[in-house]
Amino acid sequence: MRRAVTIILLIILALGISRSLAKIPFGAHKTKVGKYYINEGIEETGATNIVTSVVLNYRGFDTLGEITVLFIAAIGLGAVLTTNVKGETRKIQPASLVLYTGCRLLFPLILVFGTYIFIHGHLTPGGGFQGGAIIASGFLLIYLGCRERRINRVASNLIESLGGLTFVLIGLLGLVFGSYFLLNFLPKGTANTLLSAGIIPIIYIAIGFKVGSELTSIIDNLIEES
Amino acid sequence: MVNPVLLIAVPLGLAFAIPLFAFFWRPAAKYIPPAALVFNLVVSILLLAQVLENPLIVSIGGWQPPFCIILVAGPLGVLFSAIIALVGLLVSVYALDYIKEGPAEKYNMLFLLLLTGATGVVLTGDIFNLFVFFEILCISSYALVAYLRDKAGIESAIKYLIQGAVGSSLLLIGIGLLYGLFGTLNMADIAQNIKSVSPVSVFVPMVLIIAGLGVEAAIFPLNAWLPDAHSSAPSSISAILSGIAIEVGLYAVARVIFTIFGASSILLFLSLLGILTLLIGEMCAFSQNNIKRMLAYSSIGQIGLILFALAIATSYGVTGGLFQMISHTLSKALLFLAAGYMIYQAGSMEMSALEGLGKKMPLTCLAFTIGAFSLVGLPPFIGFPSKFLIVQSALAAKETFFSVLIGLALLGTVIEGAYFFRVVQVLYFKGEETNTPRKDAPVTALIPMFIFVVLSIVVGIYPKLVTDVLNSAASELINRLDYIRNILG
Repeated sequence: MRRAVTIILLIILALGISRSLAKIPFGAHKTKVGKYYINEGIEETGATNIVTSVVLNYRGFDTLGEITVLFIAAIGLGAVLTTNVKGETRKIQPASLVLYTGCRLLFPLILVFGTYIFIHGHLTPGGGFQGGAIIASGFLLIYLGCRERRINRVASNLIESLGGLTFVLIGLLGLVFGSYFLLNFLPKGTANTLLSAGIIPIIYIAIGFKVGSELTSIIDNLIEES
Repeated sequence: MVNPVLLIAVPLGLAFAIPLFAFFWRPAAKYIPPAALVFNLVVSILLLAQVLENPLIVSIGGWQPPFCIILVAGPLGVLFSAIIALVGLLVSVYALDYIKEGPAEKYNMLFLLLLTGATGVVLTGDIFNLFVFFEILCISSYALVAYLRDKAGIESAIKYLIQGAVGSSLLLIGIGLLYGLFGTLNMADIAQNIKSVSPVSVFVPMVLIIAGLGVEAAIFPLNAWLPDAHSSAPSSISAILSGIAIEVGLYAVARVIFTIFGASSILLFLSLLGILTLLIGEMCAFSQNNIKRMLAYSSIGQIGLILFALAIATSYGVTGGLFQMISHTLSKALLFLAAGYMIYQAGSMEMSALEGLGKKMPLTCLAFTIGAFSLVGLPPFIGFPSKFLIVQSALAAKETFFSVLIGLALLGTVIEGAYFFRVVQVLYFKGEETNTPRKDAPVTALIPMFIFVVLSIVVGIYPKLVTDVLNSAASELINRLDYIRNILG
């Protein structure tokens, strides 16, 4: 009886919601800001990757918020997981030689690939977040393969801090040079070249370092705890 | 002219820079939040004089709205950012001595980011940007609730995290649907076009957004996380959560309902919800023996009253609701701050442990008593004019329905009075006479507490000091056409 009532209620709810959603023209030409970004994006921002031009230029303020959210998640996790007992050593079983050597071989390649992804964020798919995540995956590999290795926490905290600060300072420079926060005040260059799109690559490099070190410190915290 | 974006950018940059400063000089971490908040307070006050005449709209990145994110510094937003900076400043001074254990550097970063998120929510003119700042506010409060790393803290933080995350997802889905409908995220732009689509399509996004924001605003029945979270956080954080976080949630609800949707049809429902929240909160508070849980439930009650006042939707009613928000912020922050050291001294949050504390820590208990009287609404404190305004506006409203509900609200106030007087009685008139030495809270705690006391007395005697600002803030909320015209020209 109860189950039947639940099912009927759910059906009524689902019908109501679907009736309401049926009219919403997702992805239609009507999305006016979307159309504007596609038509004007490259010319106005200099970034060939339109997603990047939206993420870092038209809506750069949101991205500043997003990196703050990630920052909070990392330090929040650090605050909650900080252990009171220091110097406690656990027995670590070393990985096999194949795994050990494989990880050492792959690690620099992963770093190079991650760096490529965030430096070319304004030209090809990808960007600071993706590149940072790839770099962190390289560190994860080291944590799994070379088990006694640990990152330098002080250095990773400083990189995080500098990355965030760079973003805010570039924003403030825009305020100084053109009275708009996050204004793209540098020359836009020719589209499709590495040195184009003004402040976008600089911000993406800062984000790449920041996200990479943040995700790595999350991995570090979780591995210490497990 | 000061750019309102500095209110967000400067504290954000300083929060990022805390590890850098701490690397060179360890104690620097705890002095940065007060410094950043002094800056915010000064800038907000400078702006306030200016935006009372004309709201200030700034674009970020230099494009035209709706293609970029804008900040709208109207009287409402700047008033809120001033209150956030003021309360945050006083609480951060209190925390200088109060936070002794744990990773203090991380505490200070999270604290400052929480307030930055709150400031962003009240200033932004873009609905997705509102979501982003809302997330900053919420996620840093999850982490801060668990800061003491005891069992109660972790448990309540996880409860809060789960409910908050569900709420945020609903909010995000709602925003996604709105974007699908209108192809824009600018609040004024959405508001302008909201009547052009059928009300059925708008209904689901509206419900999702209000429910999502309602979790953080602690509207019944979405507030199960609040008593646990507010009572097991460190007291300085409880003061911020109760005094700022839920008010900002409620601001967002009001902004969405009044400005974006212009929905007058659900106001009656919301006023009913408000009264329900009020009565349930006050009755639960009455039955508590744990002082911080009692204060937390009383926050639920106050939120109910504010929601009710906002839902009256006349200029009187909204002014009363905003006034009540300010009076609740000042009084509840004061109560939590005082309770922090009372618990520290008594060694327990149980009411029975507080017996006779009035003689051991006279100043702290005096501050607590004044906070309690102000919250109940006794003259000459700030709670009196704000509650009086709400009663007046409910009686003046066209619907007799509100007059009935205000009777119930007054019943809630009576219950509120009963349990607060019980605490005051326990503090001063219970317990044996012992000759324990006086040991009051440290000066860094007493100064913020007495600033709150002075503020609530001064505004209580001269409500005119704030009512002008409140009136123009209320009219910003009610006159959505003016809001749209100011932004889109």
